[in-house]
Amino acid sequence: MDHALAPWLLALGQALLLAALGPLVTGLIQKIKARFQCRRGAGLLQGYRDLWKLARKGSVQADTASPFFRLVPALALGASLAAVTLVPVLLVPLEHGAASRLPLGDALLFLGWLSLGRFLTAVSALDAGGAFGGMGASREMTVSTLVEPALILVIFSIAIVAGSTELGAIAGHRVALGGSFGASDFLALFAMLILLLAETGRIPVDNPDTHLELTMLHEGMLLEHSGPALGCLVLANHTKQIALMAFVQALFLPRMASGATPRAMAQGLAVFVLGTLVLSVFLAVVESAYAKLRFFHLPQFLSISLLCAFLAVALRLL
Amino acid sequence: MEQARRRRSSAAGARATRAAGHLGLLAGALAGTAVAIQGLAAGGTQGPAHVELPRLFPFAGMSLVLDGLGAFFLLVVSVIALAAAIYGPAYLKAHPASSPSVIVLGINLFVASMSLVLLAGDAITFLLAWEGMTLASYSLVLAEDKEANIHAGLVYIVIAHVGTALIMVSFLALGLRAGSLDFAAMRASAAALSGTERSMLFFMALLGLGAKAGVVPLHVWLPLAHPAAPSHVSALMSGVMLKVAIYGIVRFGLDLLAPAAGPLPPSWGWTLLGLGSVSAVIGVLYALQQHDLKRLLAYHSVENVGIILMGLGMAMLLAHRGEAAEALAAIALAASLLHTFNHGAFKGLLFLCAGSVQSAAHTLNMEELGGLARRMPWTAFLFLVGAVAISGLPPLNGFVSEWMTFQALILGGGELRSGSGLAVIAAAAALALTGGLASACFVKAFGVTFLGRPRSSHAAEAMEAAPSMRAAMALLAAACVLIGLLPGYAMSVLELPVALLLKGTSLGSIVTVRGPLVLSASGSVGSGTAVSMTLAAALFAALALAVCGLLALQHPDRRRLAPTWTCGMAPQSRFDYTPTAFAKSLRLIFATLYQSKRSVTRLTGATPYDLRSLHWKSEMVDLSQKHFYDRLQTGVTRVAHAVRRRSTGRIHYYIAYVLVTLLITLLIFGRG
Repeated sequence: MDHALAPWLLALGQALLLAALGPLVTGLIQKIKARFQCRRGAGLLQGYRDLWKLARKGSVQADTASPFFRLVPALALGASLAAVTLVPVLLVPLEHGAASRLPLGDALLFLGWLSLGRFLTAVSALDAGGAFGGMGASREMTVSTLVEPALILVIFSIAIVAGSTELGAIAGHRVALGGSFGASDFLALFAMLILLLAETGRIPVDNPDTHLELTMLHEGMLLEHSGPALGCLVLANHTKQIALMAFVQALFLPRMASGATPRAMAQGLAVFVLGTLVLSVFLAVVESAYAKLRFFHLPQFLSISLLCAFLAVALRLL
Repeated sequence: MEQARRRRSSAAGARATRAAGHLGLLAGALAGTAVAIQGLAAGGTQGPAHVELPRLFPFAGMSLVLDGLGAFFLLVVSVIALAAAIYGPAYLKAHPASSPSVIVLGINLFVASMSLVLLAGDAITFLLAWEGMTLASYSLVLAEDKEANIHAGLVYIVIAHVGTALIMVSFLALGLRAGSLDFAAMRASAAALSGTERSMLFFMALLGLGAKAGVVPLHVWLPLAHPAAPSHVSALMSGVMLKVAIYGIVRFGLDLLAPAAGPLPPSWGWTLLGLGSVSAVIGVLYALQQHDLKRLLAYHSVENVGIILMGLGMAMLLAHRGEAAEALAAIALAASLLHTFNHGAFKGLLFLCAGSVQSAAHTLNMEELGGLARRMPWTAFLFLVGAVAISGLPPLNGFVSEWMTFQALILGGGELRSGSGLAVIAAAAALALTGGLASACFVKAFGVTFLGRPRSSHAAEAMEAAPSMRAAMALLAAACVLIGLLPGYAMSVLELPVALLLKGTSLGSIVTVRGPLVLSASGSVGSGTAVSMTLAAALFAALALAVCGLLALQHPDRRRLAPTWTCGMAPQSRFDYTPTAFAKSLRLIFATLYQSKRSVTRLTGATPYDLRSLHWKSEMVDLSQKHFYDRLQTGVTRVAHAVRRRSTGRIHYYIAYVLVTLLITLLIFGRG
């Protein structure tokens, strides 16, 4: 393998691998939820079947929509994929910031790509000229506004000690620390788990299984898309979910291995699979055990995470 | 016959004058760009260029000096002025004003006096040019003879003059100590100032300059005055004039009043950081609730000035406190200066787009727009570029300067530790909130204006803007994209001003240490962060293009158009989400800050269920208007009434007043 190309291939390979695993994670969460409801539920591979079905379908576009409408799914999926290249799943550099790592971005750019995807999806929701799209866009942007400050505080609570916002460097820092976990880390993790519920659009913030106008946030924005374009947006959402899980692990999960050897990569992947399983169970349990919150109770719920994240930073600095 | 010919010839004369004016602005902007670039390139080796002006006043000479800081801000002014010059002629033709010649003359004077402020080498030139800038923009605010413009102009001119008075006092106090009004002499004499005097002078100047920059709570004139002017003038007022005030703050804080050695007083940095955070959040929150496109953009200027001040405040807090802090101060200062340019570019772009919308649809009320993207695809696309940039989203320039500000805040917070560090991180959270709210606001602004169905016949019949207007918008959009993709090259422009203000700190060894394609930031802990916007954007583009290619594989026959399903009713524009509806959830969540009032009037028939008509009205009051300006105004009016009651017109009363005043003055000052 050409040495200069290796980091590029690694980044792209990781993006494609995670994008390919995304629907499986959603399938897993759905399966666990079905078990809680004493149902057998759809198979683990249902996500792939849905995507395949959408890919072969024709598409109907609103006659009032502008030329942007058709571009948005591709751009949103591109943004999700660009975000997923930034999480250290296969490769965790121990000497953080090692020059061999491609400077593709840090945690802030990760959030930036996700915000870009959300921005474009929300814009396209207003394009079709139905009230549901507007409602979904308005609510999704409102929730993201409330999530953003807490998310930045969580990142900063860890970045302050790591001296970097690069996710690889932060994960490398955890490697160097070993398993030691302070009060600040626990608070930040608690805040992050609340934010994970909000960002992946799950109960109690959003209900991914519904198309009922009173409860939908994210789904409302996708109503007017159809066929392969809808498939893109659904895949973008699966990818975003798995990217966020990898993000949580990069911030909090200490890895045993680091470096670019095949063995270390395999170990990294194994740890990632384990971590993703745990987080999927967490999401499924919360979704089964709680009801969706009223939309205007969300600020209170999300402010818990803001408070915890702020206390985490305070514990680090004081 | 004779009269008609004279009228025709005078019309031809006016046209020629206007054409000369347009060309003058274009030439001036080009010359300004050239001078700025030359100053930035040569200033490092030759030192600042210096020109003596003819002596107008017996007591002080006047001069022009072009140093790194002035040259950078001159570049900001000239680039936006260039776009405005290209945009202006077609806009004035499409959007007839009562006195186009006044607008052309006013805009020339406006740009010229802004450039002079930046080039001023002494306080007299600065103040004269500053006043010229205020008066020229005042005449432009009044260019359209409407009630709203007159009110906006009055508020603007009063606040601007109170600000000028404060700046003047600050300059005179400093000049008195220096024995000269020349900046160089002031700089030298400022070294001997005591800490209290230094801070007094700084805060006085900050109050005056902050009023012009639109810092909360001194911003109330801004959302009135900026939208009132013609759109390319709004672009200059919002994109550039605020930056001249920022220039003043930088000039005072980091240059004229900076101590010869050692750190700046911490109160300066904290004040700017605090004011910046408040301005950013309040500005964007009020922007969200606007229905008028230009007023929405004007409130966003308050927000962006806040972001600039956050970077500047951080730079002041960290400057001259050891090597690691100095490097972070350089990042913060570079972030702040870069955001100054960026805001000029995207806000100029957005105002020009708003101007195109106005000349096409004859309204800026977003409730009446909609569906413009299919009628004006270029304007819509360019507005979208500006919207992504101002929301701080990758891969455009807004993200780069916000990324650098974030890096400065996080690494600076780690550097300061303890309570101070926590305050800095809280400011970072405020910046994140601002970013989120700005995205929400621009989803609304773009979506409601350009997408969906047209909500009025004007919007339905809108025509694309003239080619020259599109060219001007494309110029600024290109700046947004290029700085976003290649920020390292923008850093080389900032090299000289940063070195000047931070006593020789080289940006190249801090931010672009890994070559111009990679931005780095690092503090004393850990290895720091490196991001290559170029690579990241290339990756994003490649991925998005690949997906686009896959989507294009779908057979065209399998795509069809159909009306949106509206639950069985005939689709019409009233199904679209309106701006008020879009912002409703945030209006409820931040209700304390808005204190919005609404009234619903129902007109019913014989029974309450027989609803004849329903009238809904909502109004939002700017908190600083209510709690600051209105109280101030009441106070001033009360004093004026008191004075009037005692001005009886009888001479002996006045003689008594004069005697008492004289006595008191002698008692206070007569001892020395």
